[in-house]
Amino acid sequence: MTAIGFSIPGKLIAQKDTIQLAPVVVKGFVPERFMSGLKVQKIDSVTMSQFRFQNLADLLLYNTAIAFKNYGPGQLSTVSFRGTSANHTAVLWNGLNINSPTLGQSDFSTIPVAGFDQVSVQYGSAASIVGTDAVGGSILLNSVAPAHGLNVAIGRQQESFNNSQTQAVAQYGTSLSENWGLSGKTSAYYGSMKNRFPDSTRRDARLLPSESFQKGLVQDLFFKSKNNHEISAHVWLTSNELTLNPRNLAGRELTQTEAYRTMLRYQWKDFSVRTSWVRDILDYATGDYSTLDHAVTDKLAGRVEKDFHWNVGSVGSIQVKAGGDWTHFRTRVTGYEKPEITENRGDLFLLTRWQSMSGLLVSANLRQAFVTRYQPPFTPSLGVEYPLIRRVNYNLKIMGSVARSYRVPTLNERYWKVLGTPDIKPESGFNKEIGIEQRFALNQSHSFTASLTGYHNRIKNWTYWNPGQSFKVENLQEVLARGLEAQGGWNGTFGVFKTGARAGYTYTRSSQEKVYDAYAVDIIGKQLTYVPVHSGNLNAFVSYQKVRLSCQVLGVSRRFTRTDNSLFLEGYALTNLLAETTLDWNKTQVRIQGQVNNIGNTFYLNVRNNAMPGRSFAVNLLFSYKSQSKNVQEN
Amino acid sequence: MKKQLTQGILAASLSIIAWSCNQSDPKPKGSYTDGVFVTTMGNWSDNNGSLSFFNREQREGDIDVYATVNGGSLKGGVQGYAVLNGTGAIAVDNNAAGQDKVEIVDANTLEKIATIGAPDIENPIRVAFASASKLYVSCWGSDVSNYSTGYVAVIDLATNKVTKKINIAKGPENLLIDGGKLYIGTTSFTNGKNLTVIDITTDEIIRTVAFDAAPTPIGIDANGKLWVGSGIGISKVSTDTYAKGTLYAGADQAKLASNFTFSLDRRTIYFVLTSDFSQKGKTYKVGIDDSQINVTTPFIDRLFTGLAVDPKQGLIYAGVTPSFVQSGYAVRYRTDGSVIDSVKVGANPTGFVFR
Repeated sequence: MTAIGFSIPGKLIAQKDTIQLAPVVVKGFVPERFMSGLKVQKIDSVTMSQFRFQNLADLLLYNTAIAFKNYGPGQLSTVSFRGTSANHTAVLWNGLNINSPTLGQSDFSTIPVAGFDQVSVQYGSAASIVGTDAVGGSILLNSVAPAHGLNVAIGRQQESFNNSQTQAVAQYGTSLSENWGLSGKTSAYYGSMKNRFPDSTRRDARLLPSESFQKGLVQDLFFKSKNNHEISAHVWLTSNELTLNPRNLAGRELTQTEAYRTMLRYQWKDFSVRTSWVRDILDYATGDYSTLDHAVTDKLAGRVEKDFHWNVGSVGSIQVKAGGDWTHFRTRVTGYEKPEITENRGDLFLLTRWQSMSGLLVSANLRQAFVTRYQPPFTPSLGVEYPLIRRVNYNLKIMGSVARSYRVPTLNERYWKVLGTPDIKPESGFNKEIGIEQRFALNQSHSFTASLTGYHNRIKNWTYWNPGQSFKVENLQEVLARGLEAQGGWNGTFGVFKTGARAGYTYTRSSQEKVYDAYAVDIIGKQLTYVPVHSGNLNAFVSYQKVRLSCQVLGVSRRFTRTDNSLFLEGYALTNLLAETTLDWNKTQVRIQGQVNNIGNTFYLNVRNNAMPGRSFAVNLLFSYKSQSKNVQEN
Repeated sequence: MKKQLTQGILAASLSIIAWSCNQSDPKPKGSYTDGVFVTTMGNWSDNNGSLSFFNREQREGDIDVYATVNGGSLKGGVQGYAVLNGTGAIAVDNNAAGQDKVEIVDANTLEKIATIGAPDIENPIRVAFASASKLYVSCWGSDVSNYSTGYVAVIDLATNKVTKKINIAKGPENLLIDGGKLYIGTTSFTNGKNLTVIDITTDEIIRTVAFDAAPTPIGIDANGKLWVGSGIGISKVSTDTYAKGTLYAGADQAKLASNFTFSLDRRTIYFVLTSDFSQKGKTYKVGIDDSQINVTTPFIDRLFTGLAVDPKQGLIYAGVTPSFVQSGYAVRYRTDGSVIDSVKVGANPTGFVFR
């Protein structure tokens, strides 16, 4: 955990600028190396640590350009990435898409930051690399193999409103034999949000009583041999129980989601194979819980890939990844036309990356997906990066990408009784973007980073549950999303004080462009609902030795709640303050963090038109033990 | 969800109440003394229904007059609105339990006077004034899975408190007050078949009348007969003996006749005949002396989510809902079925109140 890690763009540039011509064995779960020309933002370890008791939506809201549609504290939180809908962001866990197959989206309130080690946000269409849903962007959650030694940590957050989070994690690494090493992580978390707000209303708007309980277990094991064999196993079990109006026995509403995610992976040099099984369970009931609306979906998947490298003298290096994956779905949903539905999907892909001596980086990627009873569009992409200026104290890089994208219809869209359309077409997008990244070191004490990206993404065959046709789902709409993302960072030192700030501004203009009935005229060219035109965030800190003060600011402009933009939720700004310090006794550490959320007691409304809570407080304690001296592990 | 599918059942009674109270003389102060109110449900899970308003001469209105006057919106679907003298009552139905309410407002300025919320008011549907001091609110109650705990709440407007709950099973819905009696229909989501009759002086049930399907009291015709819709049947009922004769809108029992409204002379009933959970349908009419309903030629070849006749001008106002997440329209028709114009209103317009 170092202050330097705070500046993400700087780190990224530094990473990518290194001209590495020796063959590289790519070990990541997601082939990020082939995302040349696309903006990839890796969340740094300090930020991860600050948000370790919160959910993924909070983390991304305060640190990226992503917008969320939130139904209330602890309630459904869906993503809108670059002006697209909740269905257009791929959420990958160790490379595997974990969006609900029935809904085609993820509820980010059910994904705690404690569930993964690392997260990268990839902006823009990358369907050629990661497959379906990556239309607006993708969120890459990864497990990281721990270093040798033992780390144990137990943490607890106590928050206002009788809310708390508890977590325990052990990370370990050891040699099994002369050749083999084992490392792994076992972690468990439990969250209890009782949401006992002191007042039932704010400014005449009610706060909705709700409770949510969240628990999870993560197990990662990595077996690595010196002759490049690696076997890893990953398990993530999660359970989330949300109850609205818990004390109203007739009117209470229960939503229970469980996911069992398992994965086995084997890699030998340039070859890797992966299998996975995921079960998603959704239960819903109101009032009487004796019979729950029950939905179970199993997803069995496999993937094989092989890398090839060539060094072609002055031309540079060429890397190719070829592979395929297949997925079998089996789902039992009460509302479907048949009690059990199965669907098979397959993908073939060829990813290439060429890096020239001049620093020019080109990725050309191809993917063809196959789905039971129809064929999604062929999906190519081309990305280019070029360092325009490379000096010791100043770097300027230009990057761009042109990509097709697609979204395979959700199981609901295909199989829902009467309303679903089995032969509905996949949505297809065409994304173009261009950006610059620069890094400037003023002197030894101060450095700056800045990036600017513009994009234009047209998505055709956008599905719509058409009220004009009794809510049958149809490929009626066409959405054009375009926008600008500006990010800037600064790290500085003033004597004994370290400081830094990172700011982001996002302009998003996303509109429906196609007339499909007489009244669609009213919504042509109008901003999509719940997509703010302007949003921004600011993170700043000052630290002195082990004491650190941070400030998080989030601003969101009005969000339209009607497609013709006749009604909206007001914009708002939130500010949080954090103070933390660490007490050290040899191998044992205690980190104490105090947090004031919504310090200005801002009033704002959620999607349900209920008030969101005002100012709240949290104290976080983290006890940790490390068998080896510091800085071995950063997570 | 069920509610969302057939929110479109209109309190025809409202216009009649409004009509009778329009007879009062000196012009009161306020911006909302003359014009058309539209109750809109909005999108069910967004709790963003509203009371829209426009002047008869204008083509543009205010989508949410309550928010314009009081700052915040009503935060729920507006199921019903009624006005008597200077007082208005708005039934606000929230998606979540415990957040429903009836707002009592100054009918002329729309300023909020009082809020009556849960547990006194749960899933309110329609409001009807018995007098300047007494208001009835039909409520489905807390149990919307089985509709077992519905009631009509009696509100004393002097204290703005619920003084009595008259238990009515199967989702009490449309209310009609005439001749000292309150007629209570039930929602078509249930298998309820009884029209309940209440004495408005004692607030006691004096009679239940059985129909083929869930009954909807429509109004009193030019001859003093009560009309009640049920399923695809429309019945003429004696208010003394409750003897009835029924006409049928076709023979398809899967369809549903709804959104009934009387013409200005109370000799014609306009209604919408729907299928597919009210998602498809056309508009028909029947005369009070007709011996059958002509369902071969629709009066207007369109589905409406609300229908009412303006007692001042006799024009037909129809609610159009392109989607629950975009503005709806109030479309004006002449009595020959020809269209005049339309005004943009809140999403999912279901009822009209004329002043």
